[in-house]
Amino acid sequence: MSILASDGGSRLSRFSDRNFKYLVVAPAILILLLFGIFPLIYTLLVSFQNINMMETDTSFSGLLQYRLLFSDARLWQSLGHTLLIAAIALPIELIAGLLMAILFLERLPGRQLFVSLLVLPTMIAPIVAGATWRLLFDNRFGPINQVLGWITGEPQAILWTIKPDYVYPAILIAEVWQWTPFMFLILLAAMSNVDSSLTEAAEIDGASPLRIFRRIVLPAIWPVMTIALLIRGLDLFRLFDVVWALTQGGPGTMTETISIYAYIQGFRQFETSYTAAIAFLVIIMLTVSVMFALKRMEFVR
Amino acid sequence: MKMLTAIISGVILAATATTAAAQSAADRAVEAAKQFAGSEISIVWEAGLQSLDPLNFSGPRWEELTGIKVKVIEVPTSEMFTKILQEHRAGTGAYDALNVIPSWMPDLVNAGALEVLDPYVDKYGYRSELDSILATYRDNQMKVDGKIYGFPDDGDLFILYYRKDLFEDATNMAEFKAKHGYDIGPPQTWEEYADIGQFFTDKFAPELYGAGQFRQPAYGIWLFEERFRNTGGRFFDPDTMRATINDSAGVATFEGMRNDNAFMPPGVESWGFVEALSSFLLGDIAMTISWPPFGRWAAGYGTDDDALSWVPKTTIAGKVGYALPPGGSPQLAAGFSLSVSSSSPNKEAAYLFIQWLNSEEISLQRVQLPYALRDPFRESHFTDPEYLSRWDDAPAYLQTLREGADAGLLDLSILQIDKYEEVLRQATSRLWAGEEVQTILDDAAAQWDALTDRIGVDKQRAAYSDWAAKPNAYPK
Amino acid sequence: MSAAAKARRQLSRRRAWRLALRYVAAVTLTVMFLFPIYWLFSISMKTPEEIFASPPVWYPASIQFDNFRALFRGGDAVTVWNSLFIASVSTALAMFLGTLCAYSLSRFKTGGDNLAIWIISQRMIPPIVIVFPLFLLYVWLGWVDTYHGMILLYTAFNLPYVIWMMRGYINDIPIELEESALVDGCTRWQVLVKVVFPMARTGLFATAVFTFVFAWNDFIFALVMTRSEVTTYPVQVTHYFGGQSNFWAKIAAMSVLGAAPVFVAVAFLQRYLVRGISMGAVKG
Repeated sequence: MSILASDGGSRLSRFSDRNFKYLVVAPAILILLLFGIFPLIYTLLVSFQNINMMETDTSFSGLLQYRLLFSDARLWQSLGHTLLIAAIALPIELIAGLLMAILFLERLPGRQLFVSLLVLPTMIAPIVAGATWRLLFDNRFGPINQVLGWITGEPQAILWTIKPDYVYPAILIAEVWQWTPFMFLILLAAMSNVDSSLTEAAEIDGASPLRIFRRIVLPAIWPVMTIALLIRGLDLFRLFDVVWALTQGGPGTMTETISIYAYIQGFRQFETSYTAAIAFLVIIMLTVSVMFALKRMEFVR
Repeated sequence: MKMLTAIISGVILAATATTAAAQSAADRAVEAAKQFAGSEISIVWEAGLQSLDPLNFSGPRWEELTGIKVKVIEVPTSEMFTKILQEHRAGTGAYDALNVIPSWMPDLVNAGALEVLDPYVDKYGYRSELDSILATYRDNQMKVDGKIYGFPDDGDLFILYYRKDLFEDATNMAEFKAKHGYDIGPPQTWEEYADIGQFFTDKFAPELYGAGQFRQPAYGIWLFEERFRNTGGRFFDPDTMRATINDSAGVATFEGMRNDNAFMPPGVESWGFVEALSSFLLGDIAMTISWPPFGRWAAGYGTDDDALSWVPKTTIAGKVGYALPPGGSPQLAAGFSLSVSSSSPNKEAAYLFIQWLNSEEISLQRVQLPYALRDPFRESHFTDPEYLSRWDDAPAYLQTLREGADAGLLDLSILQIDKYEEVLRQATSRLWAGEEVQTILDDAAAQWDALTDRIGVDKQRAAYSDWAAKPNAYPK
Repeated sequence: MSAAAKARRQLSRRRAWRLALRYVAAVTLTVMFLFPIYWLFSISMKTPEEIFASPPVWYPASIQFDNFRALFRGGDAVTVWNSLFIASVSTALAMFLGTLCAYSLSRFKTGGDNLAIWIISQRMIPPIVIVFPLFLLYVWLGWVDTYHGMILLYTAFNLPYVIWMMRGYINDIPIELEESALVDGCTRWQVLVKVVFPMARTGLFATAVFTFVFAWNDFIFALVMTRSEVTTYPVQVTHYFGGQSNFWAKIAAMSVLGAAPVFVAVAFLQRYLVRGISMGAVKG
């Protein structure tokens, strides 16, 4: 593998060739270090201090902030909300994406057009998507209540962004709408890569479509699927824009995600040190989960 | 000969002195600012319509007169406090002049973010024009701890707008009198408000509803604070500093708000400024309570301007009456003061800009810009012949604004007020969600108490008693 | 008719039936997914009376571009240009540096598993929690509210994604081609340019599209890191949610302007998208 250019070339080119693998990673790693390490160190330091809106006390306060973390019900509730949304949205996006991918797998006139149109929701800024859905759900100006009224025969005045029964459905609808196309695209691509000779042979042998899927297709797309799920899962954990545009975490704190809570604590209340402690908690939790998930994925091939 | 020279020079000196004294604060500011020509100052302004003032009018004018460029930094209202404090904390010096909501001023002053303006006021002789600002705003939105930190620049308050054509209709009057036993008129109490609202809804729904209003949690603080105080409520016990918002007045307020939704258009809980405005202008509601711009736009003033092209054309021009909200003490909701950032590298130039903006001469023009959201705040604004002639009912409008300002109630302003307001915002959203009122208020009071404890009961008590001592803190 | 012919006719009829059903499903799905986008589009063309009409108006009486004109006149449209510039440059930078890095990770296993995991972990952190320290860092560097500041920020933001995805694509390229090029006397750099990049073309496009979209649509970082010089379009949209004014028309028009370049890019690159996404990030 390491057959080097041995003739001619200046010392510089020989040097750059030999250290090639380090030179090419260097710029990227340097940038990541700059943007990754400093915030981390800062956050860690600040979390051990006691800085808030009025105090800029930078003396060491020990585990003060971390102790507060554990008695903060609102924090754990926001984590719960975040996990709830992720736990519902992820399977829906996966299954819907899978079904859509199956639908578009075989030839269809105008398939390319359909696919590029269906991808559009993912391309919109999440904050814009949230604002759009807020308008769609609006009782006065939005069509959804209007359509519901047509279907049920009597005027509907569902307050999607206000009533506790409807806020989660509203958020989930907006979120699933925007990101199912992402899963769809990835799964479609993965499935179109599955060796068709295998599936055809199985079909001739008389295997049912379900069996073909389980035995041949699923294992083949498994790696891609798990990566997509990982990426979506992480993004759902960081969910902010859509919920903010729809409910701002309301009513009360009912739909507050961890990002929204951190935003309010950090940017509205200026509880800088406390937010840093939350940040560290989140980072540790995520690191552990992702490492766990990755290790499992690396072995399942 | 010497005598003559002396007399002549004396006369000339006297003449120049008088002209110098007669020179307005605006002119003085311009003159003094010319030395900074070629530089640039930044000013933080509320994003959206408000910013059109410095972008289209005052900024270019100032540059013309002094050669100083004005960079307008638009920030959404909900982000303004955050960004100002953030930049101050980071010591960036990025902001020179600021727009500040008066209730935030104590917090910003405590954080050291605002520059004391007294030295500049004296240097440039601005005291007299400061005195001619309407007493309510001058005495309550200018100083912290006796020092000047901002110039009140916006006469915000809540006004009750009602369809006088409907109120004066003979059939309506007769029917109402028969039903309720008193003559229909702008409601003096919240009970009357409910009677009238229900009456119109019963009669005309769904073409017209009795009332409508912005109800979103963001406006919750003002909705609650106004009605609560007009019902006799007090925020804290002044001795123990425990919150008393969950007493009978508080419960009556929240329950009243929720019950009133019954005669408002369905979905009113999600209304913001724009929903209320559009439904009023399109003639869908008979009463609404809001800031002064509603009145101007309902009369059709300025709605031809490009900047206001998003406002639906009024269908009710000439049919609008103005009154004080039920209870008679309107909330002086929000408002703006002009300040200078303490970390600005251009404090003098920034100061001169805000003196010029706030001066008699210039502010008169600014409050009459058709797209302006700045409302009259100086004596002269209310008596200006041009303003009075802008539309038929303008005199009644200005009269009502004036009365409102005198009887107005200040936004609560104590240490870290934003956190207390956040509690009220959440309480409002829980109210619309349908939870039990006493529970919501008990929780809110408990959260307020926890905040007070965290900040320091003694410190907060001192801040509260300072605020409560102001004449406009509670109804007279 | 023979049994075989009958069977064939039955099969083709079944196939035609299935095709029709699939077509109906496809159209229904497309309508459902595109309806909100259509709604946004229609608002951008409506008059204020139509926007505030209740019950809502489903299509504007006439297509008129006043709302867009207002954006251009007011200078708000420049924020779309800002977004375009920043997103493009940062995407190019991220793609270039990230692909180089991915090549090293793929072929040389540089840093082993740990480096790879550290890189992907950078993408996990919710922006909220690091934006303030980054703001402080930027203040110190003097990069707040600057083009280069935002470009570097989005480059760093997107590098993990690029590296991860490109590593997968490169893993899929047979190594024999590179080895024979080396035998022919190419330097490692020449191998990259002449062999690897062309082979990974579809992967490059696919990754580039999503990288661009992530940078284009970011809100949190832009909110904190810009003031007035380099405002990007998502932040500009939030300016329209005023306390005393809600410019739905401007929100919609700005959103359309902001979405348009991305839609155009997707339209051009969509055939690479499907083929490209497939091979990506598979082998981890």
